[in-house]
Amino acid sequence: MASNSSLENTIDKILNHTESNILSSLDSALSESRQKLDDSVSTLEQEYDQIISNGRKEADKIEKQIIGSSDLKARNKQLTTVEESIDKVFAKALDEIANADRSGDYSNLIKSLLDESTKNLGTNEVIVFTNSKDKDIVQSNLSQYPGAEFSSETIDCLGGVKVKSKDGAMTFDNTLDAKIQRLKPLIRKDITTQFGVGN
Amino acid sequence: MSEGGVQYSKIAEIKGPLVVVDDVSNAAFDELVEIETNEGERRLGKVLEVGNGKAIVQVFEGTTGLSISGTNAKFVGKMMEMPVSKELLGRVFDGLGRPKDGLPDPIADKFVDINGEPMNPEQREYPKDFIQTGVSVIDGTMTLIRGQKLPIFSGSGMSHNLLAAQIARQASVVGTQDDFAVVFAAIGVQYSEAEYFRRSLEESGALKRSVLFLNTADDPAIERIITPRVALTVAEYLAFELGMHVLVILTDMTNYAEALREISAAREEVPGRKGYPGYLYTDLSTIYERAGKLNGRKGSVTQVPILSMPSDDITHPIPDLTGYITEGQIVLGRDLFRQGVYPPVNILMSLSRLMKDGIGEGSTRADHGEVSNQIYDAYSRAQEVRALAGIVGKAGLTEIDLKYMDVGDAFENEFLTQATDENRTIEETLGIMWKIVSKLPKNEITKIKDKYVDQYYKEK
Repeated sequence: MASNSSLENTIDKILNHTESNILSSLDSALSESRQKLDDSVSTLEQEYDQIISNGRKEADKIEKQIIGSSDLKARNKQLTTVEESIDKVFAKALDEIANADRSGDYSNLIKSLLDESTKNLGTNEVIVFTNSKDKDIVQSNLSQYPGAEFSSETIDCLGGVKVKSKDGAMTFDNTLDAKIQRLKPLIRKDITTQFGVGN
Repeated sequence: MSEGGVQYSKIAEIKGPLVVVDDVSNAAFDELVEIETNEGERRLGKVLEVGNGKAIVQVFEGTTGLSISGTNAKFVGKMMEMPVSKELLGRVFDGLGRPKDGLPDPIADKFVDINGEPMNPEQREYPKDFIQTGVSVIDGTMTLIRGQKLPIFSGSGMSHNLLAAQIARQASVVGTQDDFAVVFAAIGVQYSEAEYFRRSLEESGALKRSVLFLNTADDPAIERIITPRVALTVAEYLAFELGMHVLVILTDMTNYAEALREISAAREEVPGRKGYPGYLYTDLSTIYERAGKLNGRKGSVTQVPILSMPSDDITHPIPDLTGYITEGQIVLGRDLFRQGVYPPVNILMSLSRLMKDGIGEGSTRADHGEVSNQIYDAYSRAQEVRALAGIVGKAGLTEIDLKYMDVGDAFENEFLTQATDENRTIEETLGIMWKIVSKLPKNEITKIKDKYVDQYYKEK
């Protein structure tokens, strides 16, 4: 009997010990789980913030893309429209120049073009070319330039002269077409200012 | 210089990219010349030498197809000029500044000589404001400052063009409402690269604030002499006339130097190192020195020239001479590139000399300089430990050595490595830097004040 009761005592002790072990394991597992849960809340919050911040970044990026490309498209359309208008203005102006009256100050213009050309070439020993309309005016002015010859060959231009040295080494294009071409970039700016666009 | 417009038809010689014109009077050095071919095609050039009735003209678009008879040279009477206005923003031009986007010529506010005017040293203002590139390794450890010239030394095939495009897309000035613009000059790049730059800026919406100059590899080499100059002319106008902060990216300056060598050889000049002309240093300085800030002017011109070092040789004349002129360098490393790290910046060989003046309280954050120094120190130590591990094996390393190895790995994988479309703020960059520094025990952090360690150190 005595041995039975000591055996029961031992079994009880073991059971109590095991029970307390299990309970303490359960406690620590519970606190560990709570800890993990607490930790994961902050991780989740961080991840949530990260997702929100990435989303905002992406939205900003897309907004920039959309605004940037639509602004550019609108600006490019404006540029094309302005350029078309500039072309129209030029075409009209060239037409008016081509059909301008050759009397009055036009002879002075031809003289100044001849002056400029001979000065740039550094010689009066030149051959002068012009179109059929300006032939007479140029010829009448040439008497003031000893050594200068008038070419019977006409050139295709709006007006003005093209001057070539007699040895053929130098040419100075002083036609109205060439002048307009040289000044075109500046004139374009003036035209767009008239339209009230640009900078 | 004469009024210009005289056309000469006595071509004495055509030699490589040069045309020698006879019986020329009144031509001026650097004067713009229009070469007209038999077929009426026009090419641009400039006077390199005048004297004894001759003028040597360098033809930008090459001399292929030109013949002595029937070719005319018209001396225009002015230097090469670039039309400038705010309207250039959002436009794409070729290497000579002609529209490449199918739109008309820009309407100019004025025409500016592409050689620029030298900045009066007395008028220069010391650069001290930060530019955020959104690339951690640059913002964190080699900060770019407004008005600085900070080159990227790369090697053939490396990811410098990706980095260039990323900087162009992301760069911004923080803490100010001032306008910011990017002038991007691609010099002698492949067609696919030029297209990538254009598309990349267009799709990100950054083209709106950018001006692109694209000189592709199949364009005549001589055009490359002009490309950086037209780009800088536009940048100077935007910066000093319109008050914008302008970032100029020039890629690849090696192609520029090659073009310079080609002309020098055609002129039969005495070659210097590796055949480059003896005046390579002076010539490069006429480009690089066009960066800066001026007293009393709002804007700034910042330059990031990119050059690929032949055979990755940093002693090659181009990087060597560039390094003398610029204020630091960002070096891309072949080993990192092979590991697949992007951007593969070797921070131990890189340096931004002006960084210290543009970071810290009021610019970035008070702890920036110190955490950057600590990162340098730790990565340098990590490299030493890696070398040691290669000999004795990982098992032979101490616990602290292993921590440094860990820091080295984290530096490359978390800080250096970045997606090409990832734009990190300076706060995010500093956060990553602290995360890496915090892998070390506190007693190893010797370069940072305690108050910053207390504030930012991330305890495990």
